[in-house]
Amino acid sequence: MAELDPLIHAPARLQVVTTLSAVSEAEFATLRAVLKVSDSVLSKHVSALAEAGYVHSRKGVRAGRRTTWIGLTKAGREALREHVAALRQLIDRVN
Amino acid sequence: MEYLPNWKVPSMLSIMESSSVQQNPDDPRSVLAVADQARQRLAAGLRLPTGLHPALAAAVAVQLGTAAYGIANHAAAGLVVALAGVAVFLGVAALSLHQFRRINGVRVDGLASQIVLGAGATSTMAYVGAFGAAAWAAFESRWWLVVAAAVAGGVGYAFGSLRWWHAYRHDPAAHAGGASPRVLATLAVLACLGLVTLLVAG
Repeated sequence: MAELDPLIHAPARLQVVTTLSAVSEAEFATLRAVLKVSDSVLSKHVSALAEAGYVHSRKGVRAGRRTTWIGLTKAGREALREHVAALRQLIDRVN
Repeated sequence: MEYLPNWKVPSMLSIMESSSVQQNPDDPRSVLAVADQARQRLAAGLRLPTGLHPALAAAVAVQLGTAAYGIANHAAAGLVVALAGVAVFLGVAALSLHQFRRINGVRVDGLASQIVLGAGATSTMAYVGAFGAAAWAAFESRWWLVVAAAVAGGVGYAFGSLRWWHAYRHDPAAHAGGASPRVLATLAVLACLGLVTLLVAG
């Protein structure tokens, strides 16, 4: 039976990893715009996820500007899959 | 936020984190729906570079036509022409992927696999079929058929890429993955070496 992952249980953090699952890497600014959060909030979540090994980040350059690219790791994708499965089981149980 | 009392910080962060879509954090269905909407919002906002599919069709047609000519022509000129075709294709593919990343601020390995490798069934079948027909036509010196097969292969390849794009927009998480850039580069080098070997051995 799948288990809820406390690290991505917070709705905002679940949104970060779910959104990242649509791409291989996203620029920090792109992710911030899609999630409609501030730099500091996104940075806080990305740091926590990176510390757990769920995301990786690297510095890059886009249109002459220094940027940060973020992507889900294999562990992050697996954690998301497990967490979503656990949530669906909860939903099924309620139904 | 050093000037804020500690008790205010969580509530402020909570407001900053809130999405425009109403959600109830205690309701798993709502939490999942909001997360899915964020993912769909990202996928729906992605744009392909202008003229990507026509450019891809043309580049594949050039590569197919030059490869067929190169295989049929056992001289150094044939090798040069075939390698020039590969260079045109790789140049268009690299430029398209660079533009996609610059326009959207994201990298999608699934798209790279479709463009560079023609990873979908439609693209693969179109390419292999067209390559066989073009090579046969080149050995028979039926050059109009080489051109026709190359164009058909290019159009089929681009059509396969377009189909993948629609599938990706419908379910981005299922189609985002693909070969990594390192694997793509390795395969590109291997393809070039294979072509050279084929031409030299022929």
